[in-house]
Amino acid sequence: MQAGTSAQFFDGLTAGRHTVHVALSEDRQALMIHADTLPEPLRWPLQDLRALRDDSDEGRLTLTRHALTDDEAPRDPARLVILDPDLIDWMHRTRPGLFRRDLGKGTWLKIGKFLGGATAATLLMLFVILPAMAGTLARVIPIEREVAFGQTVVRQIEGFLGGSIDNNLRCTDADGLAALNAMMVRLTDGQDMHYDITMHVFDHEMVNAFAAPGGQMVVLRGLLDEADSAEEVAAVLAHEIGHIESRDPTRATLRAAGSAGLLTMILGDVTGGAGIAIVLDHVMNASFSREAEAQADAFAHEMLHAADVDVSAMAVFFDKISDLQAIEIPEYLSSHPVTDGRAALARREAQTQGATRPILSESEWQSLKSICD
Amino acid sequence: METSDHLPVEYRENSGGLFSLAFKTGLLVFITLGIYRFWQKTRIRKFMWSSARAGGDAFEYTGTGLEKFLGFLIAIVVLAVYLGIVQMILFYFGLSVLAVPTGDYPTPAEIARFMAAFYISIVAVLPLLFYAAYRARRYKMARTRWRGIRFGMEKGAWGYAARAIGYGLLSVVTLGILTPLATFKLEKYMADRSYYGDARFEQGGKWTDLFACLKHVLVGVLLVITGIAAGFAGSNVLSMLMVLVGYIWGTIGLIYYRVHSFAYLTRHKILGQEVLFTSDPSAGKVIKISLLGSLAVGLAAAILLGVLALVTNLVAMQLLFASPGMMIGFGLLVIAAYVLILATLEALSLMIIVQPILAHYVSTISVQNAPALNRIHQRATETGIDAEGFADALDIGGAI
Repeated sequence: MQAGTSAQFFDGLTAGRHTVHVALSEDRQALMIHADTLPEPLRWPLQDLRALRDDSDEGRLTLTRHALTDDEAPRDPARLVILDPDLIDWMHRTRPGLFRRDLGKGTWLKIGKFLGGATAATLLMLFVILPAMAGTLARVIPIEREVAFGQTVVRQIEGFLGGSIDNNLRCTDADGLAALNAMMVRLTDGQDMHYDITMHVFDHEMVNAFAAPGGQMVVLRGLLDEADSAEEVAAVLAHEIGHIESRDPTRATLRAAGSAGLLTMILGDVTGGAGIAIVLDHVMNASFSREAEAQADAFAHEMLHAADVDVSAMAVFFDKISDLQAIEIPEYLSSHPVTDGRAALARREAQTQGATRPILSESEWQSLKSICD
Repeated sequence: METSDHLPVEYRENSGGLFSLAFKTGLLVFITLGIYRFWQKTRIRKFMWSSARAGGDAFEYTGTGLEKFLGFLIAIVVLAVYLGIVQMILFYFGLSVLAVPTGDYPTPAEIARFMAAFYISIVAVLPLLFYAAYRARRYKMARTRWRGIRFGMEKGAWGYAARAIGYGLLSVVTLGILTPLATFKLEKYMADRSYYGDARFEQGGKWTDLFACLKHVLVGVLLVITGIAAGFAGSNVLSMLMVLVGYIWGTIGLIYYRVHSFAYLTRHKILGQEVLFTSDPSAGKVIKISLLGSLAVGLAAAILLGVLALVTNLVAMQLLFASPGMMIGFGLLVIAAYVLILATLEALSLMIIVQPILAHYVSTISVQNAPALNRIHQRATETGIDAEGFADALDIGGAI
């Protein structure tokens, strides 16, 4: 290698090609690059040498030097192209670090920063910005749009639960609907309501009830099966009306729509199928904030109180589904965590009540229970 | 130093090398659940760039997989925030792409609302697509070197997006007649902002010259129109035949347009006011490579996947009463085989379609007045923070 060989050199300053003579230095620690066209011979220390990776031509080795630059990789812009097979072979044999990837200073820190930043931005969006925007939009959205969207959401939930055009889930027994209507009239009588509540009963075994935007409310058959009195159902309805009146479902759905848009982008889901699932799941199992739940409870207490319906039925229902928890967790529970505090509050409220009257007659109650038959 | 006046450009195809690189990195992409794709693309570019030579000196691609990955992270956050806000605003106006009318009895109003939301979402993304296209080209220029000197491109992605939408609308409104105007002006916008070292490119020529490249599309359109007219006149067989032939003619005519407008635009580029280019690609060759290549890849896919399905069925029969452990093991084996086949097909299409077409374009270029190149000086490095992340996030990067 001392005798040297010829090679091509690009100085990284101009586009001119230099035909150079390359040889090992006398101390065998560097490559010496000589050419008449270069102002002075160059000395490239062997330990700085790096070669370009993934070259398609195996008979060529392009060398550069490890150097701290502003470039995408810490490399000297100059290039030395070697075509001499002996020198290429010698380089491969004696320089194990030839193809090393050198990371610039602080690269890992940068990767960490970017990953952290991306995560933080996503979380900020999901948990701060979207909820705030959803709150603002829910206050200003015109009611008829809200209702139209709520109807769409309810229809989609029906499909989500297994309903179809041939086999819709809606329970439409006339007596049952009349009973439900009677219950609603009794609850909302004399109340100043923003929304006209539209009730839907779906034939599904899930123990659940939920409110969709725009006054749409869905009760699943499983909840009716689980309840032992009309008052227990009325308590659940009053609670959901509380959510509707404070626009909780609208806010939650708006937020879910934004979150779904964001998440599908990150996951690269182009069909949007996942997005729809997220929104529907959110409407059905929306866990509103603790305050929203407490407010809906307080609303329900007042509503039941005003309608002379026994508030303790609420406590009874809470206790019942708490006991169910040992066997299976009813869906209603996962979105409306029952604490002893909530049942106790309902009992305390019940003690302040005077005379109460049944919300439905026994025959009405039986009609409601068999609304899906 | 350069003495010859004329500099040939060539592309030396190393098919085996490309296949093995693409196959190997393709497997890594699967193993890393897609994260390696940024490094895969980078390595394949390095390989392809190094196959192209001008005057015997190879091009070099200096991009890194890491910067592409980080750029993607940035882009995805920006896009996610943007799209999240767009969705909420649409929702406010009673529109949502998430309100797909899949439930019972979708009303016409519901369907209309969904379509409106869908198109508005696309329109909302459109500027970003063009923005991303410009950024991607700029990134590739900034990461390309020849003789150690960097190529580069000025900023201007938003200006490009605005023009692309404007000219795009213009050619849609005129039923495609003004497509050459859009092609020419957009390429000029990009070329005039491009550099090799300190020398600037300039796009010469006239946009009206591109009409000649559009002739086969015109023939196809005329055939379709005549065919439809013949259909009204009562000649059904003739009508269908003419529409079909016209459709195929027009589609191939579009490739012809692409090849010849590229050639025209390349021939009329000037670097540093003195270096000229020639370009003489053959549309027939590009069409032949695309057709034969697609056929071959399709055939390979049919055979490989067919054999896999057959073997899977046969073995599954035998395993019907086997232990769950064996079933799971077999399932994993099938998935592994499927992944291997996909990686093979991807590498194959790169080898027999993408690279040969690239090779043809590159090797039909030559540089005139080459000695002027020796006077070109290095340009400063460009450290775009998002690399081509937007193109990656929006998936408009193309094969390379």
